[in-house]
Formats: sequence, C-alpha cells, structure tokens
Amino acid sequence: MAASLTLRTAVLRRALLGPLNLHGRTTGPATSSAGLQSYCTVAPGGTNPAIIESTEEYRFVERLIPPSRVPAPPQHSGPTPSGWIPPAESPPALPYMIRRSRMHNIPVYTDLTHGNRKMTLVRKVEGDIWALDKDVREFLKGVTGKELPTQVNEVTMTLKVKGHYDVELKQWLAQKGF
Amino acid sequence: MFRCTLLICGRGVPKRFSSAFSGESALPPNLLLPTNLIDPSRLKRPPPPADCSLPLLRRCDAVVPAHLSPVQTWVETLESLDSEPLGLAQLHPDVFAVPPRLDILHQVEIWQRNFKRISHAHTKVRSEVRGGGKKPWQQKGSGRARHGSIRSPIWRGGGVSHGPRGPTSYYYMLPLKVRVQGLKVALSSKMAQDYLHIVDSLNIPTPDPQYLLDLIRQRHWGESVLIVDVGAEFPDNILQATADLKTVNIIPAIGLNVHSMLKHEVLVLTLETVKFLEDKLLWHDERYSALYPFKLPYSDFP
Repeated sequence: MAASLTLRTAVLRRALLGPLNLHGRTTGPATSSAGLQSYCTVAPGGTNPAIIESTEEYRFVERLIPPSRVPAPPQHSGPTPSGWIPPAESPPALPYMIRRSRMHNIPVYTDLTHGNRKMTLVRKVEGDIWALDKDVREFLKGVTGKELPTQVNEVTMTLKVKGHYDVELKQWLAQKGF
Repeated sequence: MFRCTLLICGRGVPKRFSSAFSGESALPPNLLLPTNLIDPSRLKRPPPPADCSLPLLRRCDAVVPAHLSPVQTWVETLESLDSEPLGLAQLHPDVFAVPPRLDILHQVEIWQRNFKRISHAHTKVRSEVRGGGKKPWQQKGSGRARHGSIRSPIWRGGGVSHGPRGPTSYYYMLPLKVRVQGLKVALSSKMAQDYLHIVDSLNIPTPDPQYLLDLIRQRHWGESVLIVDVGAEFPDNILQATADLKTVNIIPAIGLNVHSMLKHEVLVLTLETVKFLEDKLLWHDERYSALYPFKLPYSDFP
C-alpha cells in the first residue's frame, strides 16, 4: 500500500513538473549543464582549491562591536547647540554636591503617581542635603510665590519637591555649576 | 598551658603598649591585663595621618571626582609576624567610601540566601493519600455525619488542603546595579569600621596554620578573616595554612560576595585585588545598560 502511494506521488510530481520544465527550457539548460560539468571535472582530479584564512578583514567586524562605556563629552565652553550644559571645571563651593548622571545630565526627574500627584526628584545629592533643601525652597518661593512642600531622604540622597519644577531646577543647578 | 599564655601575655603586652600608646599613657605601664580583656580597637593601628613619610605604593587608576579625595590605608605584609607597614595605598572613594546603604546590604544578603533555595516541603492532597476510595458509610440512615472518603481533609490521617506542594523555587534576581552597590557598600563599611587590610602579597614563610593565627592575633585583626586574591593560583603556603582553619578563609576576587564579607569580621585584600575590584566595580558607574548580554563581546569590557 505504502509503496503504491509513493509511486503514485512520484508520478504526480513528474506530471506537475513536466510542463514547468518545458516552459523554462529555453534559458535553463546552458547554465545547469555548465555547473554540472565543472563539478565533474574537479571531483575526480583531486585538486581542491586551498582555503586561505585571512584575518585582514576582521577589523571591519571589530568596527561593529559596540562600546560598553558612555564616552566622556568633548570640551565645551558654555551651552552646546543641543542645550546640554557642561558642568563647571571645579565643583562649586557649597556644602552639597550633585553629581551628573552616567549620561552626563543633571539628575532631576519628574514623577507622576496616582494619576495626579506631581513630584520633582533631585537625585545624587552628596553632602549636606538639608542645605540644598533650604536653597531649593528659597529658589522655588521666588519662582512660584509660595512655600512648596519638600521631602528629604538622607539615606537614598534624594530630595522631592511637590509639583513639576524640573526645568527650573535643572537650569538653576546648571547655573550653579553642577 | 596557663604558663604558656602568661608567657605570651608577658611578652606581648608591654611591647604592644609601647607601640600603640607611644605618646599618651592611657593605662599604667605596670598593669598586666589578659589579652581578652583589652579592647582590641584601642590596640589597632590608627589610619594613616595626612603627612606620612612612608612611600605611596598605589594610586587610583580611575579618575577621582573633584569633590572627593582618595582613601588612604596602610599596606602591610604577611612575610613576618612583627613588621611595620610597607607603605600607603590610595583607594577609590566610589568603591571604598560610598554612603552606607544598609537597605541595599540587606536586600543583597536576603537575595543571596534565597535565590538558590529550593524548598522541598511537600504534603499529599486527598487523592494522593492511600485509600479512601470507598464511601465509609451510606449517605442516609446511619445517624452519622455524611462522608464520602476517609481521606478528606477534615479526617484525621486525611489529605492536607492548601499545603506546601513539592519543590518550590525561590529564584529571583536583583538588578545588577543593586548587586554592585551591595558590594561597594560592604567594602566601604569594612573600610569605615577599620576591618579592611591591604597586603602586598599572600606570601607567608611557613605553611603552618599557627603562624597565621599568631599574626592575626598580634595585629588585632579580629576573630575571622577572609583573604581575597585575584589570579588563578594562590601561593602554596597560604593554601596549606588555611586549609584546616575554620575562621581564616581564602576566596578568589571573582567570587567575592556580600554574604562572605559580612560573615567574616576582617577582609584582607592584596594590591592586585584592589585594582581588580576597582576596575570591575567602577565600570558599572559609566556603562550603558546592556545592549545584549555582557558575556558577549563589547569593545571595552573591563
């Protein structure tokens, strides 16, 4: 039974492929016969083409391997066209220090929780965070005209301010030289 | 035995006093105290002063931020029992003087205990307890409560409902940055508590464990010591000396972890280990988040 099935399928395939072959015969046979001939001539002769190992082109592969470190930004004096401001040469003489993030930005972020609780987060505050808290309150009082609630976390070295004031704070910190 | 300890006391104490309290005399010189009554923190060598005449054996390779200054410690040697420090070493403040985040230390410690835990607690449900296929008595007419199986959870000897089922994995992974921060905090806290010692190499003159114990007691290092070295091969002497000691252990730098650091009182690092740790740990401060796993090639992986 199985044998008869395979036979039948073979017959079917030949029947289906026949017209196709006939159709493509005008261009097909020249190339195919040439390929077959070359294969036949190389194989019995025993002269396989030698494999040449070349490391010359590997530098093109190496060029594609990405770096893992964030590069240091080039020297700029003043704001760059992108709006990024380089930190001051020496840290400002203040009791606190805010380091740049690994992407060389000022670590001030906004936070939105419960759909409407807007917070501004200042991270990476080293030194006297309470002095920064005082200065930020003073600065934001000048900006908004009212005393904004702030939250100091000494352990995680972060300062939270109620409301979204990231743009003002970033500008203020950059101007201070952080 | 008693005479022996007395002898050690008699030999060790006056000299120690003379070395530790050279300027001021906190205790009268003729007072002989047993060593276990002396507060070891008073006998420890204080951290180096700013104007120390000893040579600086190591500088930080990485850039130290302008608002921080490198931490200075002594570089000691294990070559002889009573040797003065060889020089000074500068350690990077972002590895050895980070703010103490006890919460991160706790997270990493709990993670290290749990992520490889498999709980094998297992109970049988009513279908797995043997028997109980037959209805114990008929539904009606017996005057007893209706029951369908003697292995139901309300029966004594029955199955357990909602019990622990089979081997349970407690695997989870902390973020890489948290694990790295844990290592930094552990190293910094050891440094801050004066439990971190830098040695030039791990060469000791004899394979005798007693030598190491004497050295640790004489320098008031502490109860248990973890010795860390980078490199594939440890020196034979220190391997033999620590092989049978339970409180003195050695670990390659690549296997250094928070649990082992907290388990031991004192950490002893070699100079190459400090370099290795700084290279590896500072890289995390300036790396991109992984584009693809870090085991695959990057052009500047440390």
